Amino acid sequence: MKKVTSFIKKNPAFTVFFILTLGVIAVAVFAPFIATHDPYEAVLTDAVQPPSSEHWFGTDRMGRDLFSRVIYGARASLSASLSLVCIIVVAGTFLGIIAGYFGGILDAVIMRISDMMISFPGMVLAIAVAGILGANVTNAVIAISIVSWTKYARLARSLVLKIRNRDYIAAARVTGSKNGHILWKYMLPNALPTILITGATDIGSMMLEIAGLSFLGFGAQPPIAEWGLMLNEGRAYMTAAPWLMIFPGLAIFITVVVFNLLGDSLRDVLDPRDE
Amino acid sequence: MKKMKHVKKAAAVFLAALMVVSGTACSKSETGGESGGDTTAQSGESAQSGSGTHLNFSCYNYSNSMDPVTNVNSSWCFLRYGVGECLFKFDEEVQVEYALCDSYETEDYTTWVLHIRDGVKFSNGNDVTPTVVKESLERVYAAEADGSGNSTPSQYVTFSGIEADDEAGTVTLVCDSQTVNLPGILAYPWYAIVDTSVIDEEVIGTGPYAVSAIAENSTIDLVRNENYWDGEVPYDSITIYLTEDSSTKAMALQSGDVELVENITTASDLEALEADPTYYVSTTAGVRLGNSYFNYNGVLGNEALRQAIQYAIDDTTMCDVTVGGMYTAGCSVLPSSLSYGYDELTDTYAYDLDKAVAVLDKAGIVDSDGDGYRELDGEKINLNYVAYSSRNLDEFAQAVAITLESIGIGCTVTVQDYDTALANQSAGNFDLISSNATTVPTGDPVGFLGNFYSGNSQDYGYYSNEEYDALYEQLLNTTDEEEQLSLIIDLQQVLIDDAATLVHGYYNSTFASRADAVSGADIVPMDYYWITTKIKPAE
Repeated sequence: MKKVTSFIKKNPAFTVFFILTLGVIAVAVFAPFIATHDPYEAVLTDAVQPPSSEHWFGTDRMGRDLFSRVIYGARASLSASLSLVCIIVVAGTFLGIIAGYFGGILDAVIMRISDMMISFPGMVLAIAVAGILGANVTNAVIAISIVSWTKYARLARSLVLKIRNRDYIAAARVTGSKNGHILWKYMLPNALPTILITGATDIGSMMLEIAGLSFLGFGAQPPIAEWGLMLNEGRAYMTAAPWLMIFPGLAIFITVVVFNLLGDSLRDVLDPRDE
Repeated sequence: MKKMKHVKKAAAVFLAALMVVSGTACSKSETGGESGGDTTAQSGESAQSGSGTHLNFSCYNYSNSMDPVTNVNSSWCFLRYGVGECLFKFDEEVQVEYALCDSYETEDYTTWVLHIRDGVKFSNGNDVTPTVVKESLERVYAAEADGSGNSTPSQYVTFSGIEADDEAGTVTLVCDSQTVNLPGILAYPWYAIVDTSVIDEEVIGTGPYAVSAIAENSTIDLVRNENYWDGEVPYDSITIYLTEDSSTKAMALQSGDVELVENITTASDLEALEADPTYYVSTTAGVRLGNSYFNYNGVLGNEALRQAIQYAIDDTTMCDVTVGGMYTAGCSVLPSSLSYGYDELTDTYAYDLDKAVAVLDKAGIVDSDGDGYRELDGEKINLNYVAYSSRNLDEFAQAVAITLESIGIGCTVTVQDYDTALANQSAGNFDLISSNATTVPTGDPVGFLGNFYSGNSQDYGYYSNEEYDALYEQLLNTTDEEEQLSLIIDLQQVLIDDAATLVHGYYNSTFASRADAVSGADIVPMDYYWITTKIKPAE
């Protein structure tokens, strides 16, 4: 308890943003208890109603309660962006570490593939991949993963290269440590803080990318409650029923800001060099 | 009211800021914004470069070609842009009237002698002679035969002979079979007359305007056809802005970049224009049917399931609310605005959700495993509903799916592009597929009703009904107008009783114009005609 208190005192910003993040996650987890209506229940005659005491955020064009859909939208957006970040962090870090550590042909192959990937505009390539695979959230996650892992691979590789030839690594080798042990015990822990900070900061931007793909029709498909898709559905009513875009837009805005600030403050916690 | 305006403005500013911050309005919205920007610049240029009367018109780009042989859309563009004309045309009542042909004779409805109007010239000054008319008609059939064009003129009529007599000014057409409605067929855009002497270089027609420049997917510049035969041409020049997005079209009109737009398909934009006296919005109950075809080779071969769907769907709410009045609700495949006896029909499956549930329960289509979805023959029902986003069809599909889910019928909507949806339709890869089609393409519904004839229905869900087939064959063989009408009414009723297709409603075409700049911008039911000499500068 004392430790926790001193940690909070030492990192007040991180604590605040961490609590906010927990709040966002809680909204997703406890959506059924927060939502006032079934997000998929449509009353066609009640379409596009302005915010009222019955429907706090109004209704969409199918007469569904927008507040409930925005709340449930947290589930789709959060789960997709968290799984996306996990995939790219794990895959990118793994490839980057083995490329940096082993070097040679393995390094050349992985890094050239990575170079190829970053020579395309990411979103355009993601649209192409999602277009080929078919439009749904899973494929959107796969599409963005394919174009986004390179950042972590390059980062992990550069971190590994920095320590690969250090004396303590050589010592470990001389004393008979296997490659797997060195990678696991020395390389990964060395790269991890930077990777984690980058990953946390990326959650927000990945959320935007997924929402972007859904907005363009390559991600979530109706009737799923997903913020990007909801923005697209409301686009045609931008002037007549602005709430159809304002509330999903606000939800994206708030969530992205919270995760970005969490990422920044996490850096202050894990990376003491800036102090 | 003023306060409301401020609120709206503030909301708009806030929204813009949000979009910038969240970045979600990436390429699609930016494209719209950019094209809007281009429009302004080009509009300015056009206004400066042109002297005299000029019209800026914004429309969806259905084709980059204007050659009638290329495909359906290109032939429509040829007529819609006021560049080409046919031997006949349709008036506001969808009645056929003379155009380049000014009289005809036929005794047996097989051999037709058409007199070509004297003194008509193409926009390049060449004469429209019977020989050119013959060559023009032969060309579209030749392109179909050798595959150089995708237009299929033989769908409506085939000729065993086409003869031209330049001295008498006549073209004699010998049909392969009795063709009562030949004038209506020849009014279809595929049969538009082009100047065959220059067709390898450019597509020249006889319409009130001629093409002066084309920037593909961007603009088409038209100039007055100095040789036009049918009255005065009101504008010296017209710029057509090809705009994909309906809201962009509406905004271009509101900003003054264009003075005339066709078919605003976003209900909220249309409402805003209708409410503002600055704009004149012309709406007509069109001849297009919005419906969804059932696939009889799948679970929807089950009659009770089809009947339940018909009972469950509230077309009136969908047309009036979901798509904001873009469609007029109805129960038959032929629009209520046409004179095909709509009032004599009985809507056997008028909206009644309780009856829908009762029909399903009675037929044993129930949820036996408690997962919320009913089963048919032991299999959970999950309808594959294919839709495309043209003319609000995706909104209908979603509304239908939501309704069906509420009575335990699983339904997954897949919104595809038009070509993919069409390919799936032909391959039978659907349970329900949305459609929006002209019901009287040649002035009568015989061709359209053929979609449900078992000999043709493989592209429309394999519907088959012996009674329908017999009535349809009778319709093909009759020339008596009263009998035709009676048969058409009977055919419609058979389709309704059979729950043959899910009718959503009849699409209302619109034209919106700036009232201070343009007059006479009225849309006509047959949407082959957009730019006509009736559209003039406001006085």
